[in-house]
Amino acid sequence: MADYAMRIWSNPEFVRHRRAELRPVRAITVGAVVLVVCVLVGLACLSYQHTIADNLRRWDTQEGTRRLAQIEDQFARTTWLLFYKWLIGMQGAALTFWTLFSCAQSVSGERDRKTWDFQRVTRLSPAEILIGKLLGEPVLVYFAVLCAAPVTLIAGLVGGLSFGTVISVYAFLAMTSLFLGLGGMWLSTLLESRSRAIGLIGALAFYGFTLGARGLEASGLPGLAALSPLMATFALTKSAGVGHLLRPVLFGHEVPWLLMCFLLCGSFSAWLAVMLVRNLKRDYQEIRPLSRWQAVGCAAFLNFLIFALLRPAGLSDFSQYGAAGSFPDAKSVATFAVAINGLILFLMGLATLTPQERLNVWRRKRATGEAAMFADDGLPWPWLAISAIVAYGLMIWGLMAWGHALPLGMGTLQTAAVQLLMVLVFVTRDVLFLQWCMLTRLRQPVVKGVLYLFLYYAAATVFIIIASISSRDAGRWVMALLTPVQVFDADAAGFAFPVATYVGLVLQMVLASAVLVAIDTRLRRPVRVGAAA
Amino acid sequence: MIELVHLRKEYDNVLAVDDLDLTIPQGEIYGLIGPNGAGKTTTIRMTCGLLSPTMGRARVAGVDVAQEPEKAQQHIGYLSDFFAVYEDLKVWEYLDYFAHAYKMRESEIPARVSEVIAEVNLEVKRDAMIRGLSRGMKQRLGIARAVIHRPKVLLLDEPASGLDPKARLDLRSLLLGLRDRGATILISSHILTELEGFCTSIGIMEKGRMVRSGRIEEVTAAENPARLVRLSWSGDSPAGDSLRTVQEQLQREPRISEVKLATGAGAFGFAGPEEDLAPILAGLIAGGVKVTSFGEVKQTVEELYMKLSTHEVM
Repeated sequence: MADYAMRIWSNPEFVRHRRAELRPVRAITVGAVVLVVCVLVGLACLSYQHTIADNLRRWDTQEGTRRLAQIEDQFARTTWLLFYKWLIGMQGAALTFWTLFSCAQSVSGERDRKTWDFQRVTRLSPAEILIGKLLGEPVLVYFAVLCAAPVTLIAGLVGGLSFGTVISVYAFLAMTSLFLGLGGMWLSTLLESRSRAIGLIGALAFYGFTLGARGLEASGLPGLAALSPLMATFALTKSAGVGHLLRPVLFGHEVPWLLMCFLLCGSFSAWLAVMLVRNLKRDYQEIRPLSRWQAVGCAAFLNFLIFALLRPAGLSDFSQYGAAGSFPDAKSVATFAVAINGLILFLMGLATLTPQERLNVWRRKRATGEAAMFADDGLPWPWLAISAIVAYGLMIWGLMAWGHALPLGMGTLQTAAVQLLMVLVFVTRDVLFLQWCMLTRLRQPVVKGVLYLFLYYAAATVFIIIASISSRDAGRWVMALLTPVQVFDADAAGFAFPVATYVGLVLQMVLASAVLVAIDTRLRRPVRVGAAA
Repeated sequence: MIELVHLRKEYDNVLAVDDLDLTIPQGEIYGLIGPNGAGKTTTIRMTCGLLSPTMGRARVAGVDVAQEPEKAQQHIGYLSDFFAVYEDLKVWEYLDYFAHAYKMRESEIPARVSEVIAEVNLEVKRDAMIRGLSRGMKQRLGIARAVIHRPKVLLLDEPASGLDPKARLDLRSLLLGLRDRGATILISSHILTELEGFCTSIGIMEKGRMVRSGRIEEVTAAENPARLVRLSWSGDSPAGDSLRTVQEQLQREPRISEVKLATGAGAFGFAGPEEDLAPILAGLIAGGVKVTSFGEVKQTVEELYMKLSTHEVM
């Protein structure tokens, strides 16, 4: 352990940031500012408590007198606890925000300064660069938190919290900030130096998402709320109406928010770390987030999460929650899982798009029988199909495992199979379209491709609305032909879907095949001689 | 020391380097020349592991760059046309960072940092912040970074562009010093005078292909079977006696061709070894010609390039 700590402490990238950011004058200034802020916050808390007591004295009622006596009795403890909550809240906000934003500029900033290549040609391994940047980029805020930690510890202990709780809150904040830092760094690797501003916007959206994840607390997957740094902090410090704070479930059992946070942030961080280690030393053009098998694994992991975090309605253990936001039956779980798989498969397709150079080589090798259809440099569609099969297998497993709470019928699995097939065909078509965009001369082909898809679905919505005006059936037909939405029709049972659904399925398969032909035509074009260094 | 085998790089639908085979032995200074967009930078970036080749392989000091990039990079010093540095570090901190990043032995780093700082004449700026250095100083610091780990191979991509004449001379002497210590240097440039009298071998690249490659004298000999010899003389009479004598003397030698003579000066081609020029000179002097100059005109890299290149700029 000490050896690992020493290796991190002497990591050249970390040392570089430590030297640059924590020069003695700056470190002393930061320490002094932190202490001044602590004193000011402490005085503000004291003043606030006095104000409350004064107001209660003015009430002069029996209730007021009782509350005044209560406050005066616990004055010191409640003031310190309030002080602690403010301090930890400020540190949490600074730590998570700063870590995310500094890491979100770590790689793109180096590209911008043109120092990135020099770092890539050193003997530092991707893992060493990752650790150095993750701990080094926000080193100033780590130092500020370190300065505030003794005061926070005293405030927490005097405020009545246990030592374990105070340390757990710090451990949780560290875990969350590392997760956010990894997310920020991942964003940063995806951006060229020119698009740093987009990275910052992305980081802001990511931060908003994690904060907003708190809203999932009342959903059918309450554990996902643990991605919000607010949940565990509130639970640990008994803040924000903790009496009403629901607890997440894991395989049907309630678990503490802290554990859920560690599980979720830890596992998502691990995936981010895998993607970063795989790509950090690659040239920008050669970045591919995951290998094909890793992508299948990631899709399986996300599917597994759905059933692990599920909170079905009707279980006596969860009766106090009510049915709102939870799953009433197996069919609703299956429909939800299929819909989520649409997103998962699309993201997986995005992560496994093959650069034109590699695709060209694959095609040539395939022509001579040297490369297989499932090669890592081939087209992504076979892997989407594998992922969908894995997702369906997990769905069967998950629904059977939850069979005691959500009775499962054969019809549900049949319906889910058709729904998943429809979603797979649409996602395959869209991912192949993005692959085709990558073979064109478009600048930022994937971004533009996604925008074109957005336009397509917007236009499809308009067509559906127009068709619906003439007749409801016409609207349904257009919906079935142009979008996968109609397959989620609640009236469907078993394989009994409207004819329009199957016609739409065939139409989209034809379209996906047409895109495949277009890709092949592009790949057949001879390469132009010339350089593009 | 550097071995490129069937190296090929495609960018999307553009072929940047096409089936490049190149072997550079230890101690060579190899100049890679060609117009902008010929594929020089791509070749160097593939050799140092910054780019993966579409096909083929690059080996440096016997290590496959794609298979064992970190091991290969131990032997490679890389310098490009931009000298980006970490502005918020001190000079010694910057070099210390790279010494650690190249995983040099901890015990030898302080001495090596001081040594390299001295080599690039930055001793007085050792503790200065980099952001306060002039452009020339930053460039020298960039050179120091490239050689801090005593690389066996130096890959230099247009290293002198933007350097002032003094800095260019300093760079040249530094590189010659490294060559004398056994380093192999691959240097790309489109400024041909930069490579003059400096490279031992050259390769001319165009459209991603190697048009010609080899030691300079071999390439020159292959292109010019006959040496170009210029001579001049003085004291010629109005009747042109000396001119006639010169003409007669030169006609006697069957290996001489393309004789172009005027009053007091001339040139001819000679398809023989350098030492066989001495009897010709002796014959002219014995014939009474007052020779004031006589010697082979060495072809410059620029002339050679102009001759070999098809001048197709992409």
